[in-house]
Amino acid sequence: MSPNSPATDQIETLFGIGFVVFAIVALAVNVALIYFLRRRRAASGAQPLEPQDGGRPQLRIGAALGAFAVAVFVFGLVFTEKAREAPATGAAGLQQKDADSLTIKGTGQQWLWRYEYPNGAFSYYKLVVPVDTAIDLELDSTDVIHTWNVPSLAGKADAVPGKAHTVSFRADEEGSYTGRAATLSGAAYAAMGTEVEVVSPEEYESYLKQLDADIQAAQDTVVDQIESGETP
Amino acid sequence: MSAERPEIVIDGFPQRRPRWMELATSGDHKDIGRILITGALGFLFIALIELLLMRLQLAIPENTFLSPVNFNRMLSLYGTTAIFLFALPLAFGLFYYLAPLQIGARGTALPRLGQIGLWLWVASATVLYAGFLFTPSEAGINPLAPLSELTFLPNNGVDAWAAAAGLATLGFVLLAIDLTTTLRRMRGPGMAWRRLPVFAWATAICSWLMLVIGPVLLAAIAMLLIDRNFDGIFFADGGGGAPLLWQHLSWIFFTGTYMLILIAAFGAICEIVPALVGRPLEGRTTVIGSLVAIAAIGTLAWIQNMLTAPIGIAWMYFAMTMALALIVPFGLIFYNLIATIAGGAVRMRAPLLFAAGAVSAISVGLAAEISHSLVGLAWKLKNTTDATGATHFALIGGAVFGGFAALYYWFPKMTGRTMGEPLARISFWTMILGTALAFVPLLFSGTYEGQVIDAYKFFGDEGVSGYNLIASIGAFVLAIGIVLTLVNAILSRNGGARAGHDPWGGDSLEWFAHSPPEPHNFDVLPDVRSDRPLHDIRAAIAHRTARAPERPARESQPVA
Repeated sequence: MSPNSPATDQIETLFGIGFVVFAIVALAVNVALIYFLRRRRAASGAQPLEPQDGGRPQLRIGAALGAFAVAVFVFGLVFTEKAREAPATGAAGLQQKDADSLTIKGTGQQWLWRYEYPNGAFSYYKLVVPVDTAIDLELDSTDVIHTWNVPSLAGKADAVPGKAHTVSFRADEEGSYTGRAATLSGAAYAAMGTEVEVVSPEEYESYLKQLDADIQAAQDTVVDQIESGETP
Repeated sequence: MSAERPEIVIDGFPQRRPRWMELATSGDHKDIGRILITGALGFLFIALIELLLMRLQLAIPENTFLSPVNFNRMLSLYGTTAIFLFALPLAFGLFYYLAPLQIGARGTALPRLGQIGLWLWVASATVLYAGFLFTPSEAGINPLAPLSELTFLPNNGVDAWAAAAGLATLGFVLLAIDLTTTLRRMRGPGMAWRRLPVFAWATAICSWLMLVIGPVLLAAIAMLLIDRNFDGIFFADGGGGAPLLWQHLSWIFFTGTYMLILIAAFGAICEIVPALVGRPLEGRTTVIGSLVAIAAIGTLAWIQNMLTAPIGIAWMYFAMTMALALIVPFGLIFYNLIATIAGGAVRMRAPLLFAAGAVSAISVGLAAEISHSLVGLAWKLKNTTDATGATHFALIGGAVFGGFAALYYWFPKMTGRTMGEPLARISFWTMILGTALAFVPLLFSGTYEGQVIDAYKFFGDEGVSGYNLIASIGAFVLAIGIVLTLVNAILSRNGGARAGHDPWGGDSLEWFAHSPPEPHNFDVLPDVRSDRPLHDIRAAIAHRTARAPERPARESQPVA
């Protein structure tokens, strides 16, 4: 999963270092366990040692573990805070007049994502955003809890009905990024996905115009059909 | 024969009731414990079948072996069975059987309460599987509101789940009340708290923990049932309901349960390792203190399961603090176990083998799990198969490896017979291979490809096909290993080698009783003077034998 936004960059760094640290810890426990089980068994007729009394080794080990825990905490805190920093719109991005981030509404429903753009146009499944632009995706749900999940662009975020949740990201490169919803939401949960298409600001503007026109055309067709009596 | 002499007339012997009725109505903690343990192992087998059905579905991309709805039913049943019908009753069955013996009690304080607890659990299992008569729950292992609301799952599956989970939890709470009372009031002569064996301490800690977390889930389930059946709005969106409330309440219970399973496992491991390496546990007091700390701090880390939910960042850091603080107590337990082994003369018998397997699997599971507590990393890893793998490593390590270690260790006490060693070894290595094959690929497909959790299918172009195929094969290997130990237990029940009252040279009081123990546990009780009563008795006998003249041995020599 290659990172493609400032936030996922930080998360991947966190993952890379954290993975190594915890792999070493797990490996150390297992190596020590197997080594001592085998060593004493090989020394045939070994007498068990008398237990060592006294709390000093315990305190020392406890203090060392505590220091390790604090170090991991600071490390996690620093990178999480970096990942949380709201991204700023870059030079190549869509320069808005009044606000510096582009607000889009994302609504989860069984089993589809609906996106609503600032001009009122909307799309299903596919979200189109301009490159290098700070996006605030305001999540909501019309039914059950869905998790919006596009791992290359941002961390997971739950869309909970009636609870505002904003996920901010900035795509650094044009391209298409996919992701699957990540909370069990009923029968067709596994088929619920989304695609984020990152385009240049000009393409974004023309896409929105096209979307608006298409919606208008579709509505006109329906109105025509109703008026002509084709559809009740 | 003179007519004046009074005579005692017996009209036959008093009729004994049939064995099954004796067992079903028994207030003896050993009978109740044995039913719980046997039932739990039976449900382990059923949970395995459900796991294998899901793994078959996930063996190849876009498989159509199970329909989505059936997959969700298997998922719900699997998780509920594994937690409520296997791991928890196995832990409480062992506690209930062993803790009174270990503290030198002749029974439990409130045997009727224990009996109700057992039968509530049986009722829970019946209700859950009676769901097959209509439709089992489709809402997953933890049925998150609002999916569990009537609007989205209008059949009665979620009601059956709620009733089953509620009945079982109520049963465990009653067992916990009995156990805490017994531990407080019925300790034998000289058995001060500081002399309690580690497993009895684990019993006390887990019972108190269940008294705290059990009612929380019961409250949540009561609200869910009101929502579903009486137009309640506790968790419903709109009208003031709070979907996140269910998550808080249920995760307090499930996180506490996770800790409870690990505490029970470490309690058993801390009995097994010293007995089989022939020396007392290093840092006994530290280990007991660590188990207490795990119960308290671990449960407070419940928000770790909600790091992608719309809650304040401060709450997330609170969860991260609690989860990372767990490094200290868990680390101390690992250190002391390994230090105990390092200074011992290892007898590599089946209980120690499984205990070592448990420590190994738990260490991998916890290392993977704790990385989920780093908030930023959780946004990447949460709800991926990495979480599945981590949880399974820790809980299979705790409940299956740890539970089997306890089974191999205490089976001679419960039945008077030892379980077969060769089959145990085959079972162990098959299980180790199976666990690695089944869950390491899931760790990788979750971290590197972001495969999502609980999904009934995946697609061929996601790059996770290979991982899932290996995981499915591994699940079958694991199942074979587990079944081998279950078969071993069944075969050894009547066919195992006879065991004396103390086959392992254990230090705690249960080895003072007969195998299996008399209904009243002990004919006489020794005066406990240390935390190793049986070691003291052996030392006293050795001392007396050394001082006594060697006359008896000479006289018994056969004359040629």
